[in-house]
Amino acid sequence: MQQKNMIRTGIAAGLLPALLALAAVAQAAVSVQVLDVAGQPMPNAVVYAEPAGAAAPPAKAPRQVEIEQKNKTFMPLVTVVQTGTPILFPNHDNVRHHVYSFSPAKTFELKLYSGVPGSPVVFDKAGTVVLGCNIHDEMVAYVQVVNTPFFGVTDRSGSVKLEGLGNGKYTLKAWYFTMGPNEAAVEQPLLVQGEGRASIKLNVKAVPL
Amino acid sequence: MVRLYRLESKIVALFITLLVVVQLAGFVAIRTAIDRNARASISEELAVGERVFARQLDQNAQKLTQGARLLASDFGFRQAIGTDDRETIASVLSNHGARIGASMAMLIGNDGQIRASTVEYPDTDLQRSSLELVRKAGNGNGASENAVVGDRLFQIVAVPIKAPVTIAWVVMGFPIDHQLVSDMRELSSLQVSILVSQRGGVGWNADVSTLAAPAASMLLKEVGQPAMRAGGLIDLQIDGNQYRARLLPLAQASNGQQAVAVLQRSVSEAVEPYQRLQLILLSITVLGVLGAAVASAVLARRITSPLRDLADVAKRLGEGDYSEGLFIRRQDEIGRLGNAFETMRLEIASRELKISRLAYQDQLTGLPNRVQFADLLRDAIAEAARTPGAACYILMMDLDRFQQVNDVLGHSFGDDLLRQVALRLSTQLLHPGAKLSRLGGDEFAILLPGVDQDGAVEQALQILRALEQPLSLHQQTVDLGAGIGISGYPAHGQSSDVLLSHAEVAMYTAKRKGSGLVIYDPAIDQSSQESLSLLSELRRALERDEFMLYLQPKLDLCSGQVVGAEALVRWIHPEKGFIGPDNFIPFAETTGFIRMLTLWMMEQVARLSEQLQQQGVQLKFSVNLSTRDLLDQELPTAFAAILQRHRLQPAALCLEITESAIMDDPARAQNTLERLSNMGFALSIDDFGTGYSSLAYLKRLPVDELKIDKSFVMKMAQDQDDAKIVRSTVDLGHNLGLRVVAEGVESEEVWFLLRQMGCDQGQGYFMGKPMPVQHFLAWREQWRAPDMLDQSENMAV
Repeated sequence: MQQKNMIRTGIAAGLLPALLALAAVAQAAVSVQVLDVAGQPMPNAVVYAEPAGAAAPPAKAPRQVEIEQKNKTFMPLVTVVQTGTPILFPNHDNVRHHVYSFSPAKTFELKLYSGVPGSPVVFDKAGTVVLGCNIHDEMVAYVQVVNTPFFGVTDRSGSVKLEGLGNGKYTLKAWYFTMGPNEAAVEQPLLVQGEGRASIKLNVKAVPL
Repeated sequence: MVRLYRLESKIVALFITLLVVVQLAGFVAIRTAIDRNARASISEELAVGERVFARQLDQNAQKLTQGARLLASDFGFRQAIGTDDRETIASVLSNHGARIGASMAMLIGNDGQIRASTVEYPDTDLQRSSLELVRKAGNGNGASENAVVGDRLFQIVAVPIKAPVTIAWVVMGFPIDHQLVSDMRELSSLQVSILVSQRGGVGWNADVSTLAAPAASMLLKEVGQPAMRAGGLIDLQIDGNQYRARLLPLAQASNGQQAVAVLQRSVSEAVEPYQRLQLILLSITVLGVLGAAVASAVLARRITSPLRDLADVAKRLGEGDYSEGLFIRRQDEIGRLGNAFETMRLEIASRELKISRLAYQDQLTGLPNRVQFADLLRDAIAEAARTPGAACYILMMDLDRFQQVNDVLGHSFGDDLLRQVALRLSTQLLHPGAKLSRLGGDEFAILLPGVDQDGAVEQALQILRALEQPLSLHQQTVDLGAGIGISGYPAHGQSSDVLLSHAEVAMYTAKRKGSGLVIYDPAIDQSSQESLSLLSELRRALERDEFMLYLQPKLDLCSGQVVGAEALVRWIHPEKGFIGPDNFIPFAETTGFIRMLTLWMMEQVARLSEQLQQQGVQLKFSVNLSTRDLLDQELPTAFAAILQRHRLQPAALCLEITESAIMDDPARAQNTLERLSNMGFALSIDDFGTGYSSLAYLKRLPVDELKIDKSFVMKMAQDQDDAKIVRSTVDLGHNLGLRVVAEGVESEEVWFLLRQMGCDQGQGYFMGKPMPVQHFLAWREQWRAPDMLDQSENMAV
């Protein structure tokens, strides 16, 4: 429980300056609803918005994120980060893990270790990174690395609130981990004029939590 | 078909046939059951084999899958794939594939593209199979299947490569190798062959097989068209062996090629243990049949050998040999049969002995009888015939007066007498080989083998001498006498029958003559032949009335009156003419025909007497009686009947009996004479003076008259002695109160002499010869007695 709180704190800590910046420019928040192929709300879906036609917002040093291993499971299952974000893989199990990724977006391996690794891994390339443990085949986690600061993962109701967006045109994208690694995210245009709402439908079926 | 005549063979054949039939039926039943069982067990084995083989394939696939999975989880390999290091990927595939025995390995991306392959140009079939397999595996941990690749059957497996999600698939292909089928062969004793159909579906190619190469190629032909084979059981004939097989479809390629596993079970191998069983059964059957043959032969022999022995004994019994018996010491039916047989043999033997005794032995004397005597004689003749110059004689004798003894003293006495005679005769045999026999009645015979005629005569004389001695029996003394006939081989005949009949003829001749013995002579036989014909002629003469009554006058010598006549018989033979009484009366006496003749005479005389009485003529006729007549108990009755028929008194007749006839059987004669006398007949003793009668006896006889024999009378005129005898006899007669009649009065002189001596009546040629009745009657009319009464008285004075 304490860990969860820490992650949230981390995110909050990362988002806050951006929100502050947007707020300075006339910031708005867009609530996005993701539906699966059956029209049901879809949790754990990655949603992010990329400004259309404009250069990406200036990269700030992204905040470090943690994906812990607990009970031979990666927590959380799906993580979305902006390029350049360092991710730490603390091992809270009493067995060792060998975290690796062969994904082109980020290939790495943390050979058998326990406890918290000395340094995080920086995900500096946009794309999907699938994480696994070499000695626990069933462990899997997904990290979607995006080139925008406006992203989030849907909650249980399949909603996520993208904040800090200035008015303007955006491309709204949604990705679900059952989609193939190389499959492009579903995208649709998003026009932001102050607070707004959007709904996006994916062509896959939601995996029950 | 051999005919079985012997009981033994029949029993053995029956036993063996039964046993063989039973064994055959059992054999057939067992064989059918074995066959059915074997086929069922083969089918079962094949079904099990199919499951085992499927399982084996599956296990093999799992093993391969695990191998592939190990490879797929190799971190370095995954890393190479993750980093798309194609060179490394290819070498790892090749290296690891070889490590687990895969002949080809491919890496297929999630997009279905072959990313790497150990086969430079995998054919489309393989690609398609691989992709299908990958698809089939889906999100699972891998899949395997059989596939036809390049005319060979492969097991291909697909496993995902996870990092940790599936990033690619490793597909590996393993050819079904010989190891697999030989393992199967070891497990199941089935022959396993993998066949792959040729492209275009014409025939089969052998992939791997536990069969030897030639057998495998034969199998291909046997399995036939691939299209026709959809599984199930088939029968195969390979290299002379029968197999039952099951086709197991393994793979079907998209080009129509298919792969099947042929599991085949050798029928002969499967039934081999049963065949051994059958062989054992067959051996048992053969041993059983042999045993049964021996046992039944022994049993049959136990039954038949006593039967054969019994048959032998029965045959011997049939041949008349009762000497050897058969003792079967058994309690069963055979034993009882044997005992019954033995009892029968003894009974028959004793009965035959009794019968032969009856047949060959005289029961009274224990001597051989006529039949045996004939046999003995036959043997003796045969014996004599073998030796040149040898002879063999027989004596046949007949006791004198035995019939009278029998009649007077009784049969029991007669029997005793015969026994005594037999005893006496048997002590008189002079020759060691002589055999005494009783032929019947009072006839005895003696066989003298090897004895010549002199010897025979000597023996006969010995017998006669022995019989001269009177025989004392039951306080009676019996004078014996016998006539003996002698005949001999080869002088008188060649056969026993002839000798016997000749001896008999000789014997009768001896008896007739009164002489002791007669040796057979053909001349006697001639007369005996004549005698036979004579008898029949006599009978015929009686029927045809050829006899004639003659009468010789009897006169009172004193008055010269005719007082009667002696009735005599004459025979007027139609061919031979007149036959005198001397020529047939003795014969009639010996044959007994005389009784007929006597009755005939009686009848004639009675009829004549009746006639004459009616004319008022009183004559006393005399009728002669013979010895035979005296012995005939019926005679008085017959005479009485005749007298009654002619209304005559017995006193009208006189019966004359010769002295010798009386003395033949004095007691019997006396009996008869007394009966006749009591009836009223006058009795006369004929031919007096020639016999040996004692006066004492004479005194007792109820006679009325003596007739002096003509031998004394005829010459009394010339012979003083005769005259004295006649005179004495006349006196004797008169002294006894008898009338005296002289026979043979042939001259007047004799007439007067007799009258002078006081003789009552006379009879002779001087007065009249015997003459027919009419002559006699005529003679009586003209008879004038000589008137010499005074003259004779003068002469006497």
